[in-house]
Amino acid sequence: MYKMSQPAGRADQTLSHNMKLLSHHELNGFGGLGEGMGIQATSDGRRILWLAHESAPKNFSGVDVTDPKNPKVIVQTELPHMKLRSNSLDVVGNILAVAYQCSEPGLKPAGVDLFDVSHPEAPKLISHFDCSGPYSRGVHAVWFVDGKYLHMSSGSADFQPHNQLDDQFYRILDVSNPSKPVEVGRWWYPGTRVGDSAPQPTRLKPQFDTGFRAHNTNVFPQQPDRAYIGYIDGGAFVLDISNKSDIKVATHWNHSPPFNGFIHTLLPLFERNLWIVSDECVQDDGKDWPKLVWMIDSRDEKNPVPIGTFPAADPAVFAKRGGRFGAHNLHENLPVPTSFVSDTIIVGSFFNAGVRIYDTTDPFAVQEIAYFVPGAPKLSPAGAIQLNDVYVDERRIVYTVDRFTGGLYTLEMNI
Amino acid sequence: MNQQRDLLASRLPVSLITGFLGSGKTTLISQLVRHPDMNKVAVIINEVGEIGIDHDLVSMSNENISLLANGCICCSVRTDLQDTLRDLFAQRRSGLIPEFDRVMIETTGLADPAPVIQTLMSDTLIGAQFRLDGMISLIDAFHGLNLLKNESVANKQIAMADCVVITKTDLVALEQLDELQQAIVQLQPMSKILFSLNGNAQPNDLINLGLNSSRVNNNTLYFLGEDLNQLSSDGERYLGKKQALHDSSIATLSLRFETPFQWQAFSSAMELLSQLRGPDLLRVKGIVNVDGKPIVVQGVQHIFHPPVKLDRWPSDDHDTRLVFISRNIQVTAIKNLFSAVGAVVAH
Repeated sequence: MYKMSQPAGRADQTLSHNMKLLSHHELNGFGGLGEGMGIQATSDGRRILWLAHESAPKNFSGVDVTDPKNPKVIVQTELPHMKLRSNSLDVVGNILAVAYQCSEPGLKPAGVDLFDVSHPEAPKLISHFDCSGPYSRGVHAVWFVDGKYLHMSSGSADFQPHNQLDDQFYRILDVSNPSKPVEVGRWWYPGTRVGDSAPQPTRLKPQFDTGFRAHNTNVFPQQPDRAYIGYIDGGAFVLDISNKSDIKVATHWNHSPPFNGFIHTLLPLFERNLWIVSDECVQDDGKDWPKLVWMIDSRDEKNPVPIGTFPAADPAVFAKRGGRFGAHNLHENLPVPTSFVSDTIIVGSFFNAGVRIYDTTDPFAVQEIAYFVPGAPKLSPAGAIQLNDVYVDERRIVYTVDRFTGGLYTLEMNI
Repeated sequence: MNQQRDLLASRLPVSLITGFLGSGKTTLISQLVRHPDMNKVAVIINEVGEIGIDHDLVSMSNENISLLANGCICCSVRTDLQDTLRDLFAQRRSGLIPEFDRVMIETTGLADPAPVIQTLMSDTLIGAQFRLDGMISLIDAFHGLNLLKNESVANKQIAMADCVVITKTDLVALEQLDELQQAIVQLQPMSKILFSLNGNAQPNDLINLGLNSSRVNNNTLYFLGEDLNQLSSDGERYLGKKQALHDSSIATLSLRFETPFQWQAFSSAMELLSQLRGPDLLRVKGIVNVDGKPIVVQGVQHIFHPPVKLDRWPSDDHDTRLVFISRNIQVTAIKNLFSAVGAVVAH
């Protein structure tokens, strides 16, 4: 018998409001996707969605989403071994940048690959930039939007952290010659590297200690002298990168403690002097709740002021729905022609609470205006959907991916 | 391009079902709630008991919200409609009741539908989450003509309707049905007319009556284009001059203005008109050229929906076109009012 009480708490239920499923593709049985999504407009008029897989054996997939109702996998590549993941990628023109992170420090290949995808069915390796080292797991996330610089969270052969959790820091590569990427800048949280004069940072309580390392490292053409960094337990940083060889902190904001760490993304809304900061939930069953999206007033760069959080899905309903529940990736207004850009509508992925869309017109009273929570994907170990990342194209089509088995969901927004 | 939200599209559409006592509303609603296409629809009913859904009931979340086997949510009005709508939204938002994409509200037989529309417009919480899709009025084929001649509420219900359902069509001869249909067209030429026997109705025929997006689509043309382009100034699209079959004080006035308005001039004139003659403005809708931009306006009596700025003109016709279904107002009086107010407003 159907239990009416809290149907949203049932992981098999698909929930939707102002969003319509156009298609669902399990990616040929490899439906565990990471947090790398980018759309290439090919010279022959197709649009290819590039997706990084969350874990081995697959590296990345190219999906033809020209018709979002009928996506087709056109290529799926393999990783060299099972202790490697690609996790993150970005595409500019016909160049695809893919991150490689190992599960243990010291392993190879760890770094960034650049591919020529002018023939998307057969990506051709242009170069590999090695970031391996005795304490390095390689690259977790890349930001590549201008074809010139690649910003990333990465370890390095010459970087020894006091704590292994702090191995990835902010690095900038000049890739204007894609066959010879060169490092042109780096910054790490003072005190995390052996030899730093600054004291080591105070760590969060052991159950929430996830590391002082870089996650998303975003730079936008509107403000090319600033990098917007989610530095996990270190908080949100805005770095002055006007001189890439001498990067300085422009400002810093952190909610933890008393909150439970893991700042993932800092998305600036330039015209409105606002930042959207998202956390990442990293524990199942609501154990690290609350993991939120924050609204920050940034009129005075030196004094960022939190003015609210986005209305979160009800933890009483979702926390025990299966797997992780809480904020993760946002659609980041990528400055590329194939990306949706809005300074009021924010789209995010929230693991078992699905993909959710917010209207931030009033920054003090953000409204949730749409959501889609797919029913539990077949064979998912979490027993519920775990939407890991989201990308919105300029046609207002939403692409979102499951972390384990669900693959790709394409959606239409009625907003 | 910096993309913005379409405020209209993201609100839950609400349909009002009205009908004079005995018009067959309960019969229609009890059939409707069992229809397979009513999955994801919440129906607000005065007395759930009356529609006899006990056998279809899957569960109840509390004393006034029940779920039927087809996925339709039946909700009886508790204290008032405002509370019920707020409650429905809050329970849906928190995942306590199943998802629904649309709300249908049964209004009581004698009720003037205007206050219900006012509730939707004036309550800020409800207004932020819901939009009026349309009003559906039921009229009994047997008593219909008589009601239209004698009952002002029945006239009002038809004049305000976006869709009229003629019920009990088996009780009358074809000529009588035709005459009723003509009376309805005379009274409200913009409305869609449906026929229903034994309460049969297709849910899809009863929805998407209103403007559903500020982005121009096929529905915009349906909502505005056909009706506004084809009406003559006395609204007699189908008929020759004929004796009125209804309350003869009600007429359809169709106005066209070639010169674009300033918003202040247009809104001041409309405000003045609704202040002076609100009760007699049964239905107003149209597209207004405000400094070259298309703005959709619509209202019922003194209650106006928030104006909707369309993303583009739905056709090559960029004139302001307005239709008034009103009582004892002359078309020239409205024209003169607009030009007088326009002349006063500073340029």
